[in-house]
Amino acid sequence: MNRNKILLLASSIGVLALLAAAAINENFLKDWRRIQSVGHSPDGAINVQLRQVVNPGLRTADRCTSCHVSMGPGEQEVTGHALFRKHPAVVHDPAQYGCTICHGGQGSATEKADAHGDVHFWPEPMIPLKSAQAGCGTCHIALHVPKADQLRAAQAVFERLDCRACHRVDGKGGTIRPDGGGMEGTDLTRSGVSGYDMGWYAKHVEKSAKAASGPWKTSWAAVNDEDLAAVAVFLASRNGAPKLMEAKATFFSYGCLGCHRVSGVGGDEGPDLTRAGEKDPGQADFSNVPEERGLNHWIAEHFRAPVALVTGSKMPAVAAPESDIAQLTTFVLSLRRRELPGIYSPKDRLEAVRFGKREFAGDGATLFGAFCAGCHGQDGMGRTAGDETFPAIANAEFQKLASDRFLTETIAKGRPGRRMPGWNKDGGLRPDEVAAIVRHLRVLSGVEARAAEDEWKASRDLRPAGRRLYAASCGGCHGADGQGNKGPALANAVLLDVATDGYLRDTITKGRPGSIMPAFGEPSPTHRTLAAADVEAVVAYIRSWQEKTKNEKKR
Amino acid sequence: MSTEAKSAMTEFTSNLRSVPRRMLESAFRSGKPNTDRTRSTFVFSNVFLHLHSVRTHRWSLRWTTTMGLGLATTAAFLITLFTGVLLMFYYKPYPDVAYQSIKDIHFVVPTGRFMRNIHRWAANVMVVTVILHMARAFYTASYRRPREFNWLVGMGLLAITLGLSFTGYLLPWDQLAYWAITIGANIAQSPREVTDALNLTDYFDPGGFQRSLLLGSEIVGEEALIRFYLLHVMILPLALVALMTIHFWRIRKDGGIARPADADARLEAPAGAVYPVFTQAPQKTYQLAAIVKGRTSAVERGPENTVPSMPHLFYAELAILMLTALVCVALSLVSDAPLKELANPSVPENPAKAPWYFLGLQELVAFSAFMGGIGVPSVVLIGLGLIPYLDREKAGTGEWFGGPGGARLVRRSLMVGFGASILIEAFVIRFGWIREWFPHVPQLVVTALNPGTLLTLVYGLYSVWLVKRYQSTRAGALGLFTCFLCGFLVLTVIGTYFRGPNWDFYWSPSLWPHH
Repeated sequence: MNRNKILLLASSIGVLALLAAAAINENFLKDWRRIQSVGHSPDGAINVQLRQVVNPGLRTADRCTSCHVSMGPGEQEVTGHALFRKHPAVVHDPAQYGCTICHGGQGSATEKADAHGDVHFWPEPMIPLKSAQAGCGTCHIALHVPKADQLRAAQAVFERLDCRACHRVDGKGGTIRPDGGGMEGTDLTRSGVSGYDMGWYAKHVEKSAKAASGPWKTSWAAVNDEDLAAVAVFLASRNGAPKLMEAKATFFSYGCLGCHRVSGVGGDEGPDLTRAGEKDPGQADFSNVPEERGLNHWIAEHFRAPVALVTGSKMPAVAAPESDIAQLTTFVLSLRRRELPGIYSPKDRLEAVRFGKREFAGDGATLFGAFCAGCHGQDGMGRTAGDETFPAIANAEFQKLASDRFLTETIAKGRPGRRMPGWNKDGGLRPDEVAAIVRHLRVLSGVEARAAEDEWKASRDLRPAGRRLYAASCGGCHGADGQGNKGPALANAVLLDVATDGYLRDTITKGRPGSIMPAFGEPSPTHRTLAAADVEAVVAYIRSWQEKTKNEKKR
Repeated sequence: MSTEAKSAMTEFTSNLRSVPRRMLESAFRSGKPNTDRTRSTFVFSNVFLHLHSVRTHRWSLRWTTTMGLGLATTAAFLITLFTGVLLMFYYKPYPDVAYQSIKDIHFVVPTGRFMRNIHRWAANVMVVTVILHMARAFYTASYRRPREFNWLVGMGLLAITLGLSFTGYLLPWDQLAYWAITIGANIAQSPREVTDALNLTDYFDPGGFQRSLLLGSEIVGEEALIRFYLLHVMILPLALVALMTIHFWRIRKDGGIARPADADARLEAPAGAVYPVFTQAPQKTYQLAAIVKGRTSAVERGPENTVPSMPHLFYAELAILMLTALVCVALSLVSDAPLKELANPSVPENPAKAPWYFLGLQELVAFSAFMGGIGVPSVVLIGLGLIPYLDREKAGTGEWFGGPGGARLVRRSLMVGFGASILIEAFVIRFGWIREWFPHVPQLVVTALNPGTLLTLVYGLYSVWLVKRYQSTRAGALGLFTCFLCGFLVLTVIGTYFRGPNWDFYWSPSLWPHH
């Protein structure tokens, strides 16, 4: 009886005490309450209340403004705490768009760790601030981005011409004006998106001619065509996210698209990266990453040592300076997508999705950098990764032999059975883009395209002799039946279709410098020299496979 | 005229003044419960309290008699009911929206996170206490005549408690929920293991039927969610309340808490402070009651060792209620209810684990879905249900570990129960089972002969041996119940702490491989 009374009293007091503790914790100790309690607006102390930015269209309800008060709607004047910094001026007003649509994180949360998403079981942590522009990738697709050295060169020209004297770009410049103070030229920060006057140069010349004195006279000089082209590249790439532009340009310089597909274009050797920036860090293995958390650290380390992070990965380590690794990381973080209601769908995205506009610039150098450089090297001189050798394609010897048709067909159809995909059919490149790559190869090698195809044909009668010669000299590397071994497969329908007899003859005779293919027409201590007739016999024999593969196809 | 008016006004004002007193009197008609009679009427004239008998035997109030486990279960239920209703104000049972509403409850609903924590902890406390309560009833042989039926009602309550807990599991619509329910649905489908082996599934598919009955669809989706929601907030709670009412009512009708035949003799004299026993003569005679067949608490026994339920029993009940609340609230302040990522059908959890109290079954399911999910549990449930009808002995009723063999037998059974389950598990983990040795053996062989059925067989044989050895059904039941409790514990611990991706054995989660 008494024991029960005492137990009742004790547990009731216990429950009351705990409830009181919970109430105090809930009503006084929450971080956002303490932060807001020191806040002041010009009208006095601010109300301590839960604050949020709700955007039904984007389906966001972000309570970030409970701590970052001055980023909320109509609260710009609130001061008193380090967290009450104003949001830098951006195109999308955070008070309208909310926070998580760009920055990631957990908008519904009201505690720092949860909100920043750096917790278990939240798959979309905040994008680190130094990669903040990766958030633009949630909705936007930047168009016509050139490769990195082109972008850098274009920027250098823009700086050299001192355009920033009058124009503000990406928050810098525009300091000169006729009467001192104020900006004369237009802000070009988003010229790539909003467009700019194509006749600007003529107008500049005209104004300069008219002006008697002042900046128009002293700060203006004529620009040559090459520089004008560079300025055009630079202006087209301005969309308000210069760092993301640099990151994209860097990505298009490392040939990653040779193996990875992004938004439907690219190779299939590696995983599709279209949404790689949405990877759940909780699903990633951090045991071989120096930092314990953070998707950016995982991605960066994955560039440095792919196999250490993903067992069995075939991806080679990216030999790049740390600054490029950081940019590639930013780029991968930008690979994200959100289904958006129509009015929020940006123009660039529409142009890419509906009208097939490209993220990468259409010039041969950028295309080669984005799609080919990964395997064939930045200079096109081939590459060895592990035990695999990728042929040199930009050497003059090869370029002299190869006709435009040979190059175009090879790129378009690939080499079935080998790593080279058919870029037209599977890779998603368009004929004009393939043609641009071919032109770039000619530029790289410094060899003009052959005027006409070589009409020479090997005599069919020589096949039996060719068979013996092939077995003795070629079968070791190319396989007894041309199926390929160390050397590429020759009994390959596309190759035999594309290569003329003359091409085969010249390749056998002169070899392929930069690869293990020797010149059989030249005397050598390591292999037998083939006379012109012998080469013709071998070509005839190789050609016989074409009928075989055709017959097989028919069957 | 004026005097009449005046007196009417006086009456009105005096009536008005006495409203509070009259209101109280009309609600509590028997007045202050300060005499035996008013204490009795306090109980039997109250719709909620009249499920109690008006007097409670002093044996029932000893802490060691019941340890308050049944009351704690009830208390935990009331707490989940209260917090659950509050949660319903904010919870929206639709995929993805459900998850967001839980996030809102967690982060912005005033006290929402606290209430959800309490709800979750009280539900877990309820599962623990209902199992312990059953063990208490078993070990004190309280299921015996006339309480056989109440034992069955209790089993129903156990099943509904587990059902409530399981249906609540899906509601947050996170990864944990989604994959746990997927496991549950697959267990429901497990009769297919047998029908598939017999090539019958096309004609007779009880497994598929059970699964679609549970999910309302082929997949765990919005249909499943609304089904689980309805079960969780309406059907199961109503069933639980109905069965609980019967359960309590039957305690009174079956003569109160079971106690030894010599309980009166073993109780010490009541302390001086305790209210005296029967100070007033009864107002009614019980002639009518005397001719009614059956037992009442007063028959065959003097009322000398009973005390008024008001307030003695009610102090005890309130104390347990507050103690349970204290435990739930304390746990809620320390540990948050889990909420993983939003359910994602394309990213399976590995390992996907059912709620902890089903992990023992999941361990068996890993050997054979049918035997683990349906076969062995059915055998256990049928066995439990038959116990009161098979054990018709008298010795040891109301005594802890009462019956032939007693505590010594239970201790030995603990060793057999733990030993057998740990040995079999260790063997399977080390050497594998038939499927690993003979990959082409028919599924029916594995279904019939797997670690789960083997363990059940060992326990069964052991208890048959006990029946012979002690010449007592109670001895066999004591052994079997203890063994199954041990098996449940061992399998649950292994399933909870030592099973990792692909249900492989790991000494600790830190050794789990990634990817």
